[in-house]
Amino acid sequence: MTTIDASRPIDLASRPDNYLTHTRGFMSWALTLDHKRIGVMYMVAVLVSFFVGGVFALLVRTELLTPGQTIPGVTADVYNQLFTLHGAIMVFLVIIPSIPAALGNFVLPIMLGAKDVAFPRLNLGSFYLWLFGAAFTLVSLAMGGFDTGWTFYTPYSTTTTAGGVIPVLFGVFILGFSSIFTGMNFVVTVHKLRPPGMTWFRMPLFLWALYSTALIQVLATPVLAITLMLLVVERTINIGIFDPSMGGDPVLFQHFFWFYSHPAVYIMILPAMGIISELISVHAHRHIFGYKFIALSSIAIAIFSFLVWGHHMFASGQSPLLNTLFSLISFSVAIPSAVKVFNWLTTLYKGNISLTTPMMYALSFLVLFTIGGLTGIHLATLNTDVHLHDTYFVVAHFHYVMMGSALIGMIGGLHHWWPKMTGKMYSERTGTAACIIIFIGFNVTFFTQFFLGSQGMPRRYYDYQPEFQVYHVISTIGSYIMASGFLLTAYCLITSLFSGKKAAANPWGGGSLEWQCASPPPHDNFATQPSVGDCYDFRALKWDEATQGYEIDPALAAEAAKHPLH
Amino acid sequence: MSTIPNTHGSAHDDHGHHGHGDHAKYPFLQHHFETPAHQFDSAKLGMWLFLATEVLFFGGLFVAYAVLRTRFPEVFSYASHYLNTLMGGVNTCVLILSSLTMAMAVRFAQTNKKNAMLICLVLTFMGAVGFMVIKYFEYTHKIHEHLVWGKTFYVPPHTEEGEAEKLVLSTAPPPPPATLTVANPAAPAVPTLAATPPVEASAIKPASAAPAGLATAREMAKAEHLPVASDDPAMAHPTLHLADPKMPANTHLFFAIYYCMTGLHGIHVLAGMVMLAWLIWRGARGDFSSNYFTPVDVGGLYWHIVDLVWIFLFPLFYLIH
Amino acid sequence: MIPAFHTIAATLAADASPTGTVWLPPAASTLAGNVDAMFNAINYICYFFFAVIVVAMVYFVVKYRMRKGQAFRSDAPLHHLPLETTWGAVPLLIVIGIFYVGFRDYLNMSTPPKNAYVVQVTAQKWAWNFKYPTGATSDDLYVPAGRPVQLTMRASDVLHSCFIPDFRVKKDLVPGRYSYLWFQADEPTPSGQGHHLFCTEYCGTGHSNMNRKVYVLPEADFDKWLTEQGQWLDKIPEEELFFRAGPKIYARCQQCHALDGTKGIGPSWKGIWARTHGGEGSDQKFADGSSYASLIGPGKKYATPEDYLRNSILNPGSELVSGYGNAMPSFKGQLNDKAIDAVIGMMQHMDDFDPKTGKYLKEAPVAPKVSMK
Repeated sequence: MTTIDASRPIDLASRPDNYLTHTRGFMSWALTLDHKRIGVMYMVAVLVSFFVGGVFALLVRTELLTPGQTIPGVTADVYNQLFTLHGAIMVFLVIIPSIPAALGNFVLPIMLGAKDVAFPRLNLGSFYLWLFGAAFTLVSLAMGGFDTGWTFYTPYSTTTTAGGVIPVLFGVFILGFSSIFTGMNFVVTVHKLRPPGMTWFRMPLFLWALYSTALIQVLATPVLAITLMLLVVERTINIGIFDPSMGGDPVLFQHFFWFYSHPAVYIMILPAMGIISELISVHAHRHIFGYKFIALSSIAIAIFSFLVWGHHMFASGQSPLLNTLFSLISFSVAIPSAVKVFNWLTTLYKGNISLTTPMMYALSFLVLFTIGGLTGIHLATLNTDVHLHDTYFVVAHFHYVMMGSALIGMIGGLHHWWPKMTGKMYSERTGTAACIIIFIGFNVTFFTQFFLGSQGMPRRYYDYQPEFQVYHVISTIGSYIMASGFLLTAYCLITSLFSGKKAAANPWGGGSLEWQCASPPPHDNFATQPSVGDCYDFRALKWDEATQGYEIDPALAAEAAKHPLH
Repeated sequence: MSTIPNTHGSAHDDHGHHGHGDHAKYPFLQHHFETPAHQFDSAKLGMWLFLATEVLFFGGLFVAYAVLRTRFPEVFSYASHYLNTLMGGVNTCVLILSSLTMAMAVRFAQTNKKNAMLICLVLTFMGAVGFMVIKYFEYTHKIHEHLVWGKTFYVPPHTEEGEAEKLVLSTAPPPPPATLTVANPAAPAVPTLAATPPVEASAIKPASAAPAGLATAREMAKAEHLPVASDDPAMAHPTLHLADPKMPANTHLFFAIYYCMTGLHGIHVLAGMVMLAWLIWRGARGDFSSNYFTPVDVGGLYWHIVDLVWIFLFPLFYLIH
Repeated sequence: MIPAFHTIAATLAADASPTGTVWLPPAASTLAGNVDAMFNAINYICYFFFAVIVVAMVYFVVKYRMRKGQAFRSDAPLHHLPLETTWGAVPLLIVIGIFYVGFRDYLNMSTPPKNAYVVQVTAQKWAWNFKYPTGATSDDLYVPAGRPVQLTMRASDVLHSCFIPDFRVKKDLVPGRYSYLWFQADEPTPSGQGHHLFCTEYCGTGHSNMNRKVYVLPEADFDKWLTEQGQWLDKIPEEELFFRAGPKIYARCQQCHALDGTKGIGPSWKGIWARTHGGEGSDQKFADGSSYASLIGPGKKYATPEDYLRNSILNPGSELVSGYGNAMPSFKGQLNDKAIDAVIGMMQHMDDFDPKTGKYLKEAPVAPKVSMK
């Protein structure tokens, strides 16, 4: 069964009436139930937050150019707030929602051939909860800010006099529910709104990834919610659960916190891995290699992610027995990810590779995720972790996986689905150049930090020993390069809205259902019922110079039907 | 094969008997579902997922309970006596009965018996109200006794506010501050019942080691040269716990986790009452029938889990002595 | 398989460098060898897999790049169970091996030897205090060379963490409980140089200013230092305490209390003598409405100014100057009576000290033979 039944004519021409123009006015967006519009609003919100978080990062890096104070006005207290805000904004406002809520909301129903997610009103509710959570973060800034680190470790977080701690805890609590409701929506949508013929193992891998992520969102985030509530209660009425002078235990907080926050990092990376499966297969015009394994490994990673939280606490005074168990299980979580990388690599083998911008991002992901994943080994190993814990080595590791992998995956996905979402093509040259600049800048910034960390520089340091300065200077220069790369990306995408070429329905030659509707899609997604086949079978697609997109060629389709792939 | 935008969607043209027909017949059927059954199944799955989040939400507190009880078993078995088992038991029966009336309401909704459904919903609501009323009496009684969380636990109710900061276990005037050793200045002036003041290592008992016998609050206070409540029962104000020489150290933690868990549960009961009120309003309006009873059904699921959480809380707090 | 790992580890342990490599600082403890060997081994494995992946990627991209107009090739394999299993199983075996070696070494690192020399460590915002079995205390960590040293650590306020990079040791300090780490340093540190000791668990404003040094002394020198350290205060005549000992002790107070009038986390000591002696500023209010004048004096809460000043060091939360929070840790057990006398003396002679650095400005008489470190 090929991708599309060529006997049914497809009307893919884009019309003036699409989801963007279907209704007009502020309220038509503010009260929309259209998953595509909600996805777009999320995307704007997330990208704005990324910009804000990025500004904080640049301030942090600039301050670190010299030991001691560098920027006038940035004292140690201000610096502590800067890195805290950078972390909290990036984790809770950007990376966790970015792919599921922004790209996932747009793409998932269309990939399923559905008209919307299962619960559109809940979807809109999730977006407003995100806004409220972000608002609370702003309120916390106005009330004195917070300097606890994004991890809110007790007893510092329960005793610091910073006035913005409680508002931001409420904000993150609310953001958690935004995440939970998105997860609930996606689980039900994938279970109940698959079209006829799309069995589980016929789903695109991005949907497997979003589904696994949604499971984690639903099961892990409530634990964060209760942890934050306990922190609020401890801070306001001092029940003593984390206070040793009242019989409590500060390390208990760490267990609670990481029980969510470790699965959270898989909320960040699994969707990006799903995107990479799509990007590599589509832009290499080649069936993904090892579909079943990639699909099942997403579920396996989701399950295992709940069992390894203690590897953030090897130096906390936790018992050696727990340390041993967590270390062992942490290694086993790495294996499914490693197999995925090899499968993606093999997808390039005997492919028909186009070095489009999305493919460049996918290749960047492969390199950066490899580095990030491999350095996880240093940290999962008990004796090396003693040396590396709470140093810049950890900072470098998680930036490679959270930014170099998850965020790069998101940006790659944004470029991949940009023609679908906006109906416009961006300049490939600018997009590719920006990707390369980001890649170079990223490595200069963060690879240097591996050395900083292994040489002994601790994290969250405002001031540092002079012998570390040269590393910091290099890292800061890298951050400026990276920032200019992101600015170029923004320029590339925003100008495409005004002067970009009109996009065909299927500019890349994708096989999943979203490429069977117009770019941008109509309000109801599909003009005709899409038919479901193997979404990674590209053999029937042929480039049409007139529409600058791929179309089904009946002759190729017939030929392919004679040689089924499975 | 037009793309005229309409909520019903021409995508269903190919499936003749589904399409405009269904959506016109069932006004509550949303455009992205094919049949009412499809929508109902999805809603139920969504609600079960939400219940899973509730289980994990409360689960965090159950874990905290387990951790505290493992560290301080004597505190739990002692402090449980201060809870009124009768009131807790009545509350348990009230909630179980309200779950019954809720399930009956769902059944009546499914079988088009509107009035019976409304009566059952109202009864469920009354059950919730009854639960909260009893809870109100329980809480106010305890708060009056200062059987509360944190440092207030150690303050006799009739002490003036200004003296609440000082360490007192009696009505005697506070000792001169030079005798206080405050290890953690950021913490309130509570007896350092488990922490170690910065003195000679040999004199310090590490808090992570097993408790040295069952240290009572009184013994610890004496070791710290702090005044203790008189043993004279005639002096006892109904702050029984403060006058009780056998009260173990860290008993405040029991009440902390008690209020956290029952309080969170109470908030969920209140939310359930809002939900029930909404169902009653919609039901009176005639929204529910055998064709469409989804809100009642999923609301019932929510109510059952509220009940289920209490069924765990009740024995864990009230029945452990 | 396991002996093979040991052999590899032993070979790589030779890489542990006393002068440091591009990745790692000097290896200055007996524990560093195994840690460095493991780190280097993991690095080599990482270089290998990274090279394989990147080379394969670049090769495939070049070789299978689609030429314009070319038809799609369709001979690509969709799956290959033996291959997928292999590149799952081989990494799994490798990481299990890594886990095992790391775990064994970790057990060694977390079990202090029975005969270890115990130093007690207290961390507070934002300073370390090291206390020796003789009762002597020090701001820097001095350890004897050639024998195991155990640090028994506690924090008095929030989480801290003791990290000595050159020794490859680290452990969090948690309020309310003890934590331990141990090491053995065989090489004495050259005179005046020491290994870095960092706090590596975020603890607030001064988190990056808790840096101290670890000095490794040969046994005999260490005993000598310990004796002098225990006695250095005692050997200073009373009248010289304030300028010989004052600035050194003030170094602990400097983070919060300025001498030049700047408001810090704590009040500046400028003018404190006058304030506590009924002079200018003695009407300055406290949080509860009292003032210096109302607290200090015959019949009042503190009979003499020295009583008040002493209490504010040992029991800092009892009176809070208006406008300041309850942020000062107690120094009970860390500063003995003579140390407190030195501080009070310094306050009395504030004008003799540099308001920025606390250095004694006047010409100090020839010092008695006391190690001032």
